[in-house]
Formats: sequence, C-alpha cells, structure tokens
Amino acid sequence: MSTVRFKLNTQAVSVSCAPDRRLLDILREDFGLIAAKPGCGVGRCGACMVWIDDLPANACLVMAFRLEGRSVRTYEDVAADAASAPVRDAIARCGALQCGYCTPGLAMTLTHLHQQTPRPDREQAASLLSGNLCRCTGYGGIQRSIEQLFPATPPLSADNSGDSQ
Amino acid sequence: MNQRPHLVIEHRELLARATPRPDAAAKLAATPFPSDRQHPQALHGAILGSPHPHARILAIDTGAARALPGVHAVLTAADVPGQGSYGLRHIDRPVLCADKVRCVGDPVAIVAADTPAQAQAALAAIRVDYEVLATVDDPVCALAEDAAPVHAGGNLLHAMTHDRGDLAAAEAACAHVVEAEYRSPRQMHAYLETEGGIVEHDGNGGLIVCFGCQNPERDRQVLAAILGLHPDTVRVVGTPIGGSYGGKDELTIQPLAALLALHTGRPVRLHLSRSESVDLGVKRHPMQIRLRTGCDAAGRLRFMVADILADTGAYATHGPEVLDAAVEHVSGPYQYDAVSLRGRLAYTNNGIAGAFRGFGAVQVQFALERQMDVLAARAGLDPLAFRALNLAAPDAPGPLGQQVLPFDGPARALDVLRTHPLWTAPRSHTDGRYHYGTGLALVHRSDGFGKGGPNTARIVLGLAADGKIELRTGFTEMGQNLVGAIHALAASALGCAEDDVRPVIGDTAHTPDSGPTAASRATAVLHRAMQQASTDWKQRITVAGARLLGVAADSLVPAAGGLRDHHGTLCISYPALAAALAPAARPLLTLVIAAEETPSDVPAAHYVFGASAAIARVRVDAWTGQTRVEHIALLAALGPVVSAQGFLGQMEGGALMGQGMATIEDLPTHSGRYQARNLDAYFIPTLADAPAMEIIAVENLPDDDPVGPRGAGEISVNVTAPAIANAIAAATGFAVRSLPVKPDDILDYLENTP
Ligand code: FES
Ligand code: FES
Repeated sequence: MSTVRFKLNTQAVSVSCAPDRRLLDILREDFGLIAAKPGCGVGRCGACMVWIDDLPANACLVMAFRLEGRSVRTYEDVAADAASAPVRDAIARCGALQCGYCTPGLAMTLTHLHQQTPRPDREQAASLLSGNLCRCTGYGGIQRSIEQLFPATPPLSADNSGDSQ
Repeated sequence: MNQRPHLVIEHRELLARATPRPDAAAKLAATPFPSDRQHPQALHGAILGSPHPHARILAIDTGAARALPGVHAVLTAADVPGQGSYGLRHIDRPVLCADKVRCVGDPVAIVAADTPAQAQAALAAIRVDYEVLATVDDPVCALAEDAAPVHAGGNLLHAMTHDRGDLAAAEAACAHVVEAEYRSPRQMHAYLETEGGIVEHDGNGGLIVCFGCQNPERDRQVLAAILGLHPDTVRVVGTPIGGSYGGKDELTIQPLAALLALHTGRPVRLHLSRSESVDLGVKRHPMQIRLRTGCDAAGRLRFMVADILADTGAYATHGPEVLDAAVEHVSGPYQYDAVSLRGRLAYTNNGIAGAFRGFGAVQVQFALERQMDVLAARAGLDPLAFRALNLAAPDAPGPLGQQVLPFDGPARALDVLRTHPLWTAPRSHTDGRYHYGTGLALVHRSDGFGKGGPNTARIVLGLAADGKIELRTGFTEMGQNLVGAIHALAASALGCAEDDVRPVIGDTAHTPDSGPTAASRATAVLHRAMQQASTDWKQRITVAGARLLGVAADSLVPAAGGLRDHHGTLCISYPALAAALAPAARPLLTLVIAAEETPSDVPAAHYVFGASAAIARVRVDAWTGQTRVEHIALLAALGPVVSAQGFLGQMEGGALMGQGMATIEDLPTHSGRYQARNLDAYFIPTLADAPAMEIIAVENLPDDDPVGPRGAGEISVNVTAPAIANAIAAATGFAVRSLPVKPDDILDYLENTP
C-alpha cells in the first residue's frame, strides 16, 4: 500500500493502494468514473483513453505509482468542456458511433488532436487514431468526422514529392 | 428482365439522408453500459474456469476458499437450485460443470467477495482434481469411430442433407467441372464491451439481471428455470449493449452472477476480462467446405455437390441453425438441374462456436463465390455475366426447394454494378512491387429464423400519460440504431412526428416478448408491426380525440404533435389528449406479428431473402504478401431503407468485419487451446486498414411484396468476404481456398510461379 496524490478532473485527490494498481481500475472502482472502458486491458483498443498532463494515455497501462503529482482528465470532464463540442457534434452527425462503447476513448483522442496548433491534417489525424479500435462502424463515420474536423492533406510540394530511396 | 427501373439511392444521397441517431447524445454523455453499473453494496463475482480442454472432475475442495477474508460465497454445480444445464435447441451446456469439463474456461466454481482481489485469492484457493481426457481438437477426428466422446451421445451433433434432380445426368451435360476444398476461419466477435453486468435484488424476493443481451424474455425464462424461481420474480434488462454481432445472443455468465446474488442476498457484479471473454464467448464456426460444381459449354450451371463440416466446439448453442443456414446458402441465388448438399456439425474441445453475423452463410458464400469465378473463367465468361446468366428466376423455389417470397434483388444488384467504374476499369494489373485486382461477389441472405424458429413477436403501442406514443418491444440496442428505426417507422405509420414517439426497449418489466434481436429481423419485424398497426391506431386515436372535442372523428388527422384538422391546424396535442383521457381510455394496441415462414414443409428453411453484390479492389504487396483493401462498392438490395444512418452503419461495419475475415482474422486452436486471448494477438482491422467504401441501396421490391424491408444486419459481412477473396485471386492469380488469405501463402505462390 502506498498513497498517491494527483489531480483528477481538476480536483486534488489521493488514493491508497498497491503501487501497481491500474489507473483504469482506480477510476472505475474508486471514483465511479466509467467513461474510460476496459476493452482489452493491454493498451490495444483505446477504449480506456484518458489524458495525463493533457496527453492521451491508455488508463489500463498506467500504474498508480506513476500518478504522483500528475493531472488526470477523463471523458466525463472533457465532455463537459466546450473544447470537445465540435468533436461530439461531428461524431453524432457523421454516424461515428454505433454501440458507443469505443466513443469516449475515441472522443478523447479526437479532442486532443483537434486542440493542437497547428491542427494535424487529415492524414496525420487518421494515422494517430489507429490506436482506437471500433468494431461497429467500419470506421466510415469516423473517417467522415475526421474530414469535418481536420484540414485536407496539403498536396506534396514539388521538392519533396520524389521518393528519395 | 426488370420491367421497372431500379430505385437506386447513391452513397451521397444516403449520407445526406443520414440524420444523427436519437440516442447519440446519451451515448456521447457516457451513459453507463450494463458492465459499467455500480452498486455500493455490490460484491465482486469471479469464475474458476477449467485449465484443461477435456477432463473429468474427480473432486472439488472449496473449504480453504470459503475461509478466506471477504469471501461471501463459493459455489459449485451442487449449489444450482434448478435446471443444471441450458441451451437453445440442445440442453447441453452446464451452468457449472459437475462431472466433466469440455473446453478451456468451462466454469467449475464461482466466488463472490468484497473486493476483486479477494475474489481472485479465493479462486486460487479452490482445489480441483481432474483426470485429463484425450482432447478432441479436430472435427474430422471427432467424427472418427474411435474418437473420445465429448458428449455422451457422440460427437455428431447435427447433420442435414438436401438432394434434388438427376445428378448423373446433370454432370454428363457439363463441359467444365471444378472441385475444390475451402476452409473458413474461427473468427472472434471482438465486441469491445466484454460480458459483464450486475444482478440486484428488487426488495420483494426477486432479481434484476442487467447484462447486455439479445433476448431478455428468453433469458428471463431460462434464468428462472436455473435459479428455481418463478419467471415473474426475474427481471432482465438487456440493453444497451457495447457490441454483440450475435455473440451475446445466448446466456453466458448471467446465470453465474444470478446464482451468487441469490446465495449471498447481495448485489453481485461480474465483468469478464478480455481473456476470460475469449475463453467463454462463442466464435464463428470454422468450416471445411468441399464443392464440386459444373457448367455446360454455354456457361450454364448444371449441378453442385457440397460437403460441409463445421466445428461447433464444446456446446451446441446455435450450431445446428448455423449448419442449416450453411446448407441452405451454399448453392447461392443460382439455378441448377441437380444438387446434392450435405452438412455435418461436430462437437470438439475447441472452445465454443455459435451465432455470428453472417451465421453459417458467409463461410459457404466465400467458397461458392470463389467457385463461381473459377467456373466463369473456365467457361470464358465475365464473372458478372456468368452470375447473371445463372440466376434462378425471381419466383423460383428456394435453395432447399421450399416456397419463397418472389424477389428480384440478385438480378438488380448485378445490373446496377455492371456499369460501376470499379468494374468497367481493368480488373488486374501489376505495378512493380504491387499487384492490383478487382473481385466481385453476389449473395442472397435469409431473413429471420428458419421454419420452426422463434419468428413471432409481440409489440405494444400505447399513448402514455405524458402524451408520448410509446412503442414497447423486447428488442435490444446493440449499435444498430434500433431506437432510430423505431422513431422513423412509428412516425411514418402513425402519422405523428418522430419526436412524438418514445421507444421502450429490452426490459422484461416493461416490454413484451418480441423474440430475439437477431437474424437481421428487428427492423423488418417492427416495420411489419407498424404496417399492421397503422389503420387501427389512427382510428382509435382520432375517435378518442373526437369524443373529447365533440367533433366528428373523420374531421381529425393524426399528425405531428397531436390531432389536426384537414387544414393542418392543431386541435389537440398528444399530451393534452393523454391528460384528458382516463388511463384505461388511452389507446393501447398489442400487436402479434405472425411468423414469416415458408408454406413448404422443409424444416429450417427460410421464406424471405435479401440480396447484395459487392466489388472490392485490393493491392497485394509482392514483397510482404500483405493485402490492402483499397475500395469496396457495396450494393444492398433490401427494399426500402428505414434509417439511413442505421443502414450505412450496418453496411460499413459489416463490410469491414468481412474484410477482417478475408485478410487477417483467425483464431486457431492448438490441442484445444486458443492461440490468442486478447487483441494484442488477435488483430481486428484498425482505421488504417479501412478502405474507401461506397454504399448503394436498391429499394425495389416485387409489386405485391407483403413484407417490406429485408434485414440489413448481416448481409454486408456475407458479401465482402468473398468479394475480397476474389479480388486477391484476380490480383495475383493465387487460387484462394482458405481464409484469411495468409501473406506467406501469397509469397509462396508468387515465388514459385514463373
Ligand atoms: S482497455 Fe486500455 S487500451 Fe484497451
Ligand atoms: S461503436 Fe461499437 S465499438 Fe465503436
């Protein structure tokens, strides 16, 4: 048992637990925060995505001892934040959600990318989303959301279009 | 052939019609799934599964586990108060194994404790003595005379045959005969929400079972029988579901959680880890399919001989129906002089196979559609032209000789794709490292369960106290946009606005027995129910309004928001009407939807079919053997599109699942053990694998078609797997006989082909 102190959705919290307890379990069992979902438990599916110090992380891979002094934000908080509104709107309008189990994780990644300056282009956004699995949509709606949220990929300029290999 | 023009909805128009799902806001607000539900008093359940694929249980000692701190119950088979086994057609699956285990993970004991760690400690303290038995790990060996029996009755669970016509004469007429053996993979559903939920007490001696499920009423009956309770004391809330695709159609762990709740008197949560879910969940039936098919010099199909062997694993679940569907779909929408079809289903110790989107048909459609391409090439015909030439007439009998509803979808599907740019462009070329190829597939696909299945449904429609028009159904929402379909169907049939409708779904306390949300039937059944209700409802509600307002009933029209006069002026809103009526006077209709079953006497045969054709374009990397699917054009001929958002989602999602089956997804077993137990070793397609997709609908149905829209839940998986297999063959020349197509096989072929 050890005690870790961190910020959870802007509140200071402390948790006494084994140092190797997973953040995902802490969120769900101790705080009743259920938006981060267990899909695989091994960092493959992205359903448990949270932000740690404003960077996306799979909560199933983060152990308690690494939380000391950090700031954790979950989808519950981010969904109430105006910054995620365009993302939530695009997901609903484009049909990027079916069963909805992957949706909080997906929205966390998308919101993070959407807030960057400069904003990543479509291709970059799409490749950064391949850690968020969705078994329902076939990614059709997710691709349409990306088209709405991120600028088109700029055409390659003349000097870097050639393959240097 | 088709007198009427095709009613085509192009992809762009589907997108334009697709409005957000009514439940999108709730899902975006992270409304809990059953597995998320918490309760402050809840105990944590855990399951001790068998480490062996096949073993006799000699003794179980739970004493040490019971004595551990925080442990409230340790239960074994002896603690099941009612029926000890369950199953859909065969009652062969023990709630808890008593004498024998038949697959890895088969539940032997269960525990409820204060914390998950205590529950795990208790599991570790249970001692089970096993006598390990020979593992039956292959369906061919399972059916050998000297095979160890997985069940007392032997390993042949089910067989089906269908013979028609003079085979010898038909074969004699052939100029080309193609024979090959195909293999289809064991595919994992990989729903992102693993099985989980909570069982609570209702305070009156009853239980509330909240786990994602596809048939709350059936689950309630079966749970009550297992628990030795009256069904009225069990309430099942089965919705929403974090993905199912058929994988949650039958009970898995609900009986275990309910037993723990019953014994402890406390709420019990149970949520499987991914690896436990892999062990306990069902998979797609792997099949070996031998086909012998011939056509004459003009390219007309004459005969087919099919032999299908499927591995159902340790328990039957939906296996017999899956095999029946395989036999029914193996000859396709085509016409033959003679067929001889045989299917067998074997018990093994390889996990459990059951219902999965595509349900026995997709396996054989892969084999058949490969076979069609090979025969077309032999006959010197274009693959699309060959299929069109061989289509059975729209009013021909069904594949088992049964009477079916006339349907011209297959012909329309081919006709629309004939001029598609993907098809008219060159269909294979090589560009240095890459081989490109285009493939086509055509499938027809049954709706609902076969004859004798749970095809009937009850739906309740009523004006609620607050003025909402409630549609109550036991169907569950698993992503397919059931809620959107209910809003759209009810509004259009009842004359009201979508906003006036309130769907109430999937909760036995409030909803009637609508049968399973499976076999692509929910939307189709709801459509039929609303057609049936329309006149009656409009009459009842206008009469009620007219009485209240003192006007003639025919001066009122049910409309958006309430009853209006013929000029569109609102006379009374639905809330005002509901408030003014005594509860018993509010319109209430119970709709009983009859089974759409073939009048023929053929067991398990279907009456209603939909159709789809798809073109896939792939790029095969000659350096790595890997396939990239670049483009899929999928045309679904399923009648009117009810919910554009739901339809698109079903087509796109199923198409990618079919792509997974064709290119990467396989879950082999070795000596009865799965070779992957999580998503880090079993890969499903990611966003980076998703192709460009174009979805097209053809809405035509024959003139006097009585049933309306065909189900859209499955057919996209059915059609894309074979289309991609054909595209890989077109790109490389490799005779694809086995899915998924493995890079090594492609490389071997390319290296050894001059
Ligand atoms: S549960 Fe964390 S990535 Fe899947
Ligand atoms: S919507 Fe179901 S997993 Fe993405």
